[in-house]
Amino acid sequence: MKFPVGAAERTTVDEVTREVYDAVIVGSGISGAIIANELSRQGKRVLILEAAAGGDRTLNGYLEFLYRFYSTASKDNQSPYPLNNNAPMPRGGEAQKIRPGQPDTSPYMVQNGPFYTDTVYTRVLGGTTMHWEAKTPRMLPTDFEMRTKFGQVQDWPIKYEELTSFYETAEREIGVSADVKDQSYHGLSFGKYVFPMHGMPLSYLDQMVAKGINGTHVKLAGHSYPIMVRPFPQGRNGIPNPDYEYEGKKGYVPVGAVSTTEVEMGGRCQGNNNCVPLCPVQAKYNAGKTLAKALQTGRVSLLPQAVASKVHIDPASGRVTHLEYKKYDSPAASSYKTGVARGRIFVLSANAIETPRLMLASGLQMENDLVGRNLMDHAYLLSWALMPIDCGTMRGTNCTGGIVDLRDGPFRKEQAAFSVDIHNDGWGWALGSPLYDLNLLVDEENKFGATLRYDLAHRITRQLQLAFMIEVLPSQSNRVRVDPGYRDALDNMRPVISFAVPEYTMRAVAYAHQFARIVFQRLGASDCTAYDPEDYGYVTYEGVGYAIRGGNHLAGTHVMGNSKSNSVVNTDQRSWNHENLYLVGGGSMPSIGTANVTLTIAALCYKSAKAMLAQLSS
Amino acid sequence: MSSPKITTVPKLYDYLHHAMQIEHATIPPYLLALYSIRPEADANDKPKNADAIQVLRVIVVEEMLHLTLAANILNAVGGKPDLAAPGFVPLYPASLPDGENDFKVDLQPFSPAAIETFLKIERPGKAPEGKKLISRHRDRRSALGICPGEVDLHYYSIGEFYDEVRRGILYLSDKLGTKLFCGNTNWQATGKYYYSGGGELFAVTNLDTAVAAIDLIIQQGEGSDPSMYTQEGELAHDFRFEQLKFGRYYKEGDPPYDPANPDGTGPKGGVINLDWNAVFPLKKNAKLSGYANAPDLHEAAVAFNHVYADFLKFLTEAYNGKPELLLKAVPRMFELRNKINQLIRNPIPGMPGVNAAPTFEMPGEECE
Repeated sequence: MKFPVGAAERTTVDEVTREVYDAVIVGSGISGAIIANELSRQGKRVLILEAAAGGDRTLNGYLEFLYRFYSTASKDNQSPYPLNNNAPMPRGGEAQKIRPGQPDTSPYMVQNGPFYTDTVYTRVLGGTTMHWEAKTPRMLPTDFEMRTKFGQVQDWPIKYEELTSFYETAEREIGVSADVKDQSYHGLSFGKYVFPMHGMPLSYLDQMVAKGINGTHVKLAGHSYPIMVRPFPQGRNGIPNPDYEYEGKKGYVPVGAVSTTEVEMGGRCQGNNNCVPLCPVQAKYNAGKTLAKALQTGRVSLLPQAVASKVHIDPASGRVTHLEYKKYDSPAASSYKTGVARGRIFVLSANAIETPRLMLASGLQMENDLVGRNLMDHAYLLSWALMPIDCGTMRGTNCTGGIVDLRDGPFRKEQAAFSVDIHNDGWGWALGSPLYDLNLLVDEENKFGATLRYDLAHRITRQLQLAFMIEVLPSQSNRVRVDPGYRDALDNMRPVISFAVPEYTMRAVAYAHQFARIVFQRLGASDCTAYDPEDYGYVTYEGVGYAIRGGNHLAGTHVMGNSKSNSVVNTDQRSWNHENLYLVGGGSMPSIGTANVTLTIAALCYKSAKAMLAQLSS
Repeated sequence: MSSPKITTVPKLYDYLHHAMQIEHATIPPYLLALYSIRPEADANDKPKNADAIQVLRVIVVEEMLHLTLAANILNAVGGKPDLAAPGFVPLYPASLPDGENDFKVDLQPFSPAAIETFLKIERPGKAPEGKKLISRHRDRRSALGICPGEVDLHYYSIGEFYDEVRRGILYLSDKLGTKLFCGNTNWQATGKYYYSGGGELFAVTNLDTAVAAIDLIIQQGEGSDPSMYTQEGELAHDFRFEQLKFGRYYKEGDPPYDPANPDGTGPKGGVINLDWNAVFPLKKNAKLSGYANAPDLHEAAVAFNHVYADFLKFLTEAYNGKPELLLKAVPRMFELRNKINQLIRNPIPGMPGVNAAPTFEMPGEECE
């Protein structure tokens, strides 16, 4: 995929000031990229303001991230991405336990607690899709009807069926590898549809787990559920499906690495097992691929190093008059120039924390006080064990298969649903393997030479980590706010997070812990799971403690609904209060079910793009 | 004396066997140059030699595509690809024809000398009228671009060789009609199992697809097309190597380099981040006999040659009725990379400043 040479340097602050664009978009992640692509292909003039440092998405620019990752000692999930005090982002390694009544004010995201969320997002061109794992499950039909089916929270204002065609478009743009036969469960059905690329094979590790547990039954709330290992849909390149059809044309051409010159890379996943934080070859989708398409139209201007700082409103009509932004010269210095951007419509697509942050920093809370509230993220419980046989851990994508049988069921009246990931990268997330194992073998067991090499390989190859992705429902007190006392280097107000894990989720956490023990038992694996009370994510429930992790699946903070009294945006993600403003992304989602949010976010953006085009035409 | 030209199907088989040999022969030199570049960044985090890595990798991927296309053509006309045949892998330095002489293709690390060799490979000469075939004594070691069946006849260049293959296919198709394409179509390798790259791989089942396959090989690689930009607007490989030679990008409007007018022609765009020192200092054209005093290196080099020979046997199996095996080519190529990496990071005892390198001598075909 060719990135037009010089596209990221074409636009200047002065040029931006002179033009009234059809659409001004904040953020070049998947939401901003999709909307820019959809609008520009229909002839609209689009401006994208991106906070991160610029430069063409050449292959060399991408390789900078990769080489930085190679050379850094700590391989946390933001390690490829350079520090930038002008557009800071949350990072691993910052996490510390919150003492009651003492907010942690040191990281970029101020944490009020009580729960320290280690969620991160990535402020670079292409956004968090540079870093994401790229699992692309759809939400289930029942996920949209939590109130009707389970008496919990509110139904979505739209049904699953209204999103199906947009899901298909999103699966095409991202490039999803999956087989319909593996994904037809819990009410999901596909008719004649096939995914663009064939499903990816289960890893050897998955197969060993399947051998042990397929056909096992677990009990929950009076029901018995058979469990099995199933492949996940993957947002990365695989074998194109010749039966895939789109607008009368059959077949699918995968989009590989983005560069300004011809490169032969990224056409197919090689199983490098490095998906998070960066795919070495760009077989994994990143929004840079969609951005390249948008930039090829010649109608998109991209202004990097431009941090949107204020949304200005005409008090009489409520319409947005312009966006104010701060353009900094270099990530190394905090000097900046202020600029304004004008458009017929404005789209905030900076993610579910930065978008409400910008709204609140602009003084744009609603009467219903919902901007920033109902912050959701999946709660993750990790369990890890040593398999009795070699399983070839560390090959494939980070996660090829898992257990989805408890994503739905009548138990959801009382406790959260969950999906289980089988991790192909061993105990990395839980303990920092393989570095953890190396330290153990050298420092505590005094191993060296051939014995060290053998023991290290022998341990890693048997590591099994299960990650339980547990639904979190919206809760008003989980929220993003701003406080003038907390600012970044550009003097923008930082996000202040308050978060607690709801009891509905903790019930499922306790159940998941037991579930893991059953699985390990069936496999003859030795359970090595242990939760440390000093862990920053340590939460107790009914006398037992668990270490909970965030999933970076941020949602809820500008929720969509049917009326101005109970939501922030309508079903097109258009602001109720400001008729030329759209807030798009995970923040619009009323609930997250047990699906990684990106696919649903993309589908919603395609829906919104249609509405935006209609609005621009009228 | 039989005509050197392709007038019979067996002669076409010979030419296509030789075409596969040619396509394969440049892979080890490109691969070695590619892996010899150390993955280093400069003080500003910018990767060094990234443009070199990219163009070398593009070419390796395309050569593998050409190899597979040549196998497809051979299969389509009822021949049997055989990459495990004795002599398939040339002894390096290999010889490619260049008019009256040969030019040597060495196994060597990335360097200005390597760039010169690659420029010659990617920019074959066009024969003057009447000189497409040249009679001269053939270099004993690994001559490519020979006229199959002829003792001392050479094509002027690889481009001329392929022109004859193309002409021969058209001639035989004219003479035999569809009977020429008698191969089993199930044996054709397509994009399904083949890790995509270098353009689409397609089945060869008739004259149109056979000609398209040859044309792709010619256009992408060893053809004599002198245009600077491909149909897709990409800078052609030889010009990409010129950029590396001069350390600057071709920007729009820069005319191709002309030695008669060096200041007014050639790439005058931005400077390329090149560091000739960020390269493992490999022994040129290393041989197993050169590791006699270093048993560990000898053992590792022998192991590599066995893995490589197995790889060629594996490809032969895939090209002879089991195209689905090509799915396993990816992990095998990683294994080649790993084995090459093991060798090239080791200095050779007694040769300060020189590192070991794979020898690509097939078992049973080693030099003394």
